Amino acid sequence: MPVWQKKPQNILYPFLMSNVIINRVAEFLRRHPPFSFLEEGDLLRIAQSVEISYLAKGEVLFRKGEPANPHFFILKEGQILLQEEGQIREYCDVGDLFGVLALLGKRPYVLDALAGENSLIYAVPVEEFEKLLEKNPKVSLYFAAGFAAGQVVFRTDLGQGQKAREVFGRKEQDHSLLIFSGQSTIQISKNVLTCKPSDSVQEAAYWMDQQQVSSIVICDESKFPIGILTDKDLRSKVLAKGLSTSLPVSEIMSSPVITKKPESDFAELYLSMIKNRLHHLVLTEDGTDQSPVCGILSDHDVLLSMGNSPAVIIHALINARSNEEMGQIRDRAEEMLRYYLENEVAMDFVAAVMTEINDVIIQRAIEEGKKLLIPKFPEVGSIPFAFLSMGSEGREEQLLRTDQDNALVYGEVPESLQEKARAYFQELGTYVVETLLACGFASCPGEIMASNSKWVLPISSWKAQFSEWILHPSPEALMKSSIFFDFRVVAGTRSLGDELTSHIFDEIKKKPIFLNFLAQNALQNPPPLGFFRNFLVEKSGEHRDQFDIKARAMLPLTDLARLLILYHGIPGINNTFKRFEKLSELEPNYRDLFIQAAKAYEILMRMRALEGLQERNSGRFIAPEKLGKIQRNLLKNSFSPIQELQEIVQVRFQLDYFRS
Amino acid sequence: MSWWPFRSQTKKQDFVEEYLRLFEKPIPGIRRISQLEFVVLDTETTGLDPKNDFVISFGGIKIQGLKIRIETAQEWYPESPKEATHSAEIHGLLERENQLKAEEFSQNLLAYFGSAILVGHHLKFDLEMLQKLCLDFGLKNFSNRTIDTLELAVRLEHGPHVNWQGIPMRDYSLDALCDRYQITPDDRHTAGGDAFLTAQLFLKLLKLAERKGITTYEHLFR
Repeated sequence: MPVWQKKPQNILYPFLMSNVIINRVAEFLRRHPPFSFLEEGDLLRIAQSVEISYLAKGEVLFRKGEPANPHFFILKEGQILLQEEGQIREYCDVGDLFGVLALLGKRPYVLDALAGENSLIYAVPVEEFEKLLEKNPKVSLYFAAGFAAGQVVFRTDLGQGQKAREVFGRKEQDHSLLIFSGQSTIQISKNVLTCKPSDSVQEAAYWMDQQQVSSIVICDESKFPIGILTDKDLRSKVLAKGLSTSLPVSEIMSSPVITKKPESDFAELYLSMIKNRLHHLVLTEDGTDQSPVCGILSDHDVLLSMGNSPAVIIHALINARSNEEMGQIRDRAEEMLRYYLENEVAMDFVAAVMTEINDVIIQRAIEEGKKLLIPKFPEVGSIPFAFLSMGSEGREEQLLRTDQDNALVYGEVPESLQEKARAYFQELGTYVVETLLACGFASCPGEIMASNSKWVLPISSWKAQFSEWILHPSPEALMKSSIFFDFRVVAGTRSLGDELTSHIFDEIKKKPIFLNFLAQNALQNPPPLGFFRNFLVEKSGEHRDQFDIKARAMLPLTDLARLLILYHGIPGINNTFKRFEKLSELEPNYRDLFIQAAKAYEILMRMRALEGLQERNSGRFIAPEKLGKIQRNLLKNSFSPIQELQEIVQVRFQLDYFRS
Repeated sequence: MSWWPFRSQTKKQDFVEEYLRLFEKPIPGIRRISQLEFVVLDTETTGLDPKNDFVISFGGIKIQGLKIRIETAQEWYPESPKEATHSAEIHGLLERENQLKAEEFSQNLLAYFGSAILVGHHLKFDLEMLQKLCLDFGLKNFSNRTIDTLELAVRLEHGPHVNWQGIPMRDYSLDALCDRYQITPDDRHTAGGDAFLTAQLFLKLLKLAERKGITTYEHLFR
């Protein structure tokens, strides 16, 4: 036992005595989330409890498998490497928090932590922090965001529907993470209930009941998964259809199964569940269905581990009973967005989640609209159609509820039904637009919406429209192209969208000069910095002296990305930063530039969204003097790829020659 | 008042006796540095003359288990001797409310020190100034072992048999050392601030010492 613990303590330290040292420590903590969310008193108490230690490069702080230390760590200086079997999994930089999840999950460390450089480490006792987790929902949400970003994987097996529902029912008032208050260590279920394809439905249901689980995986002799059967399948595929329970499970199972590796990071597992609307994700040894089953992750597990999470929000949207309710849920999504952004969750994850949420709203609106309208238009209700999102939502990068840009395309209809079809689809489009308005999405000032008869057209008219823009690239046509060319099918028949896409590519191939016009258009916005590296701010009007981040920085990048992706004839990638990533593969000699542009775009998206959330507007105009020095430099640096890309485009499309 | 100026004043007060008793049992030489307790301290004074100047503020923080423990951070402001009040007021430092009477200050100080090893930059001067305050209560000298971070840094950088004549002292000022050991010089020239900087410096020096095989009490004071 250390000497000082044996000695009677003859000084009582005043409980909250503030002094220059405590203030200095608090000052450092305050700059880093989650401490930035704390009130002064709480912050000082945390600061007072800090213990500082110093590790030389190469020294180990903790090892995988060791029980969690009763502290967690904030890196004050240096660098900490989190490793597994000598492989670096994460780097911790100054201000990063680590060792948290093992501690809160009450389980051993899953990684080794060692100093990559000489490092000064602040340790905070867990008791102090647990108090805050209970008291401060922001702090717990901060961890929720980290969790969602897959920083460290918490896996849970709940399977048992009842338990899950109890917890799920509390979601309304619960902003904190249940995982932090739960006592149990949470793991992926390794004991997966399986059966043979020849077993009967009745037997499968019996085993599921015995094990109190909501799914069973059907495997072949080598334990490779062939299919999955869930509670819902029993209900909708067997009972509702009046089929016999003595049928072999192979007749009704969902097959093939989507599989992942258990080592995949959480974000990946989770996104694949969200995207495929899976309630159960089967994990196999090598991640394909050609290897043995080794675990299962259910959406209850995920729901339980997060309060205000994408899964909860999407689930709530799917079950919302009114537009008002959907609007409220969409507001909640914005709260989640704010935490994601403030905590630097990876932008591709954030954009994917928000896009999915926005898409669900549209898909719900389409379903509701159809239910409402088909009785009125029975003859045209079965005509295929696709609801197109365009602009930023089309590019899967609409974080804030800025202008909606959308349209509707439908299949060919016989002459006799044309009037009816036109009326039906316009009413359907209007229904969706109204739902979006009710959910807080602004209306498009240019009326580019599926409620406008100009943009609710049969596919032949759409093709003609695109051909017209490509053949006669007037300034107005080019402006429209920048919105319409980024369309994406959100609901309805996907093949209509594909047909339209291939039509566009064919037309451009026939008339490549269109790309030169598009290029010229993409260069209209000069690089956003003046000669002295000052921001080019608005000269007059409501936004005088503010910087238009959308028009001056983001628009040039989206225009350039679209142009170059059309130039390469690559369909199906709408997202600006994904387009740049693709371009970096296609043009290896400009690889770094494209990667830089992708990064820049992510930074701009984050800044704009944060500004918008803060100011409760579109975030489009930013006052440069309001930005901190670091942010200002970050913003300026994000401009540098714009100019370089513009120069490349200038040369590639011979614009100097073209202009004269 | 007695004609003999030292009689009553030199009588050891109880808290001094208690403090001195802590040193009856020596620390075994083989005790690991990680098991030792250090008090890192600094003072602000009215000047550099131990005879006429006095302590305005004391800042200290403890290192236990090779960890700087923020909850042990202290800042105390002893009351100034009457005859010096005038000069101190010029510094504007005496308007503090939480000033301690000399006796209370000394009592706190000795209890805080305990038998810990005292650490400071130019520590001798600080201890001389502090000891003057405690003298009135019967303490002639602090009994704690001491480490001057200046000497430790020189010893670690130049070896134990260094020729002190050849050492440029400006390279071993607290500022220079903070710079060299990458410590941000925050709150410089406050007692608490300097104590905290010195503590961080000391922690880094101990790490360097460990690399050179200095891991126990006896190594440290060899």
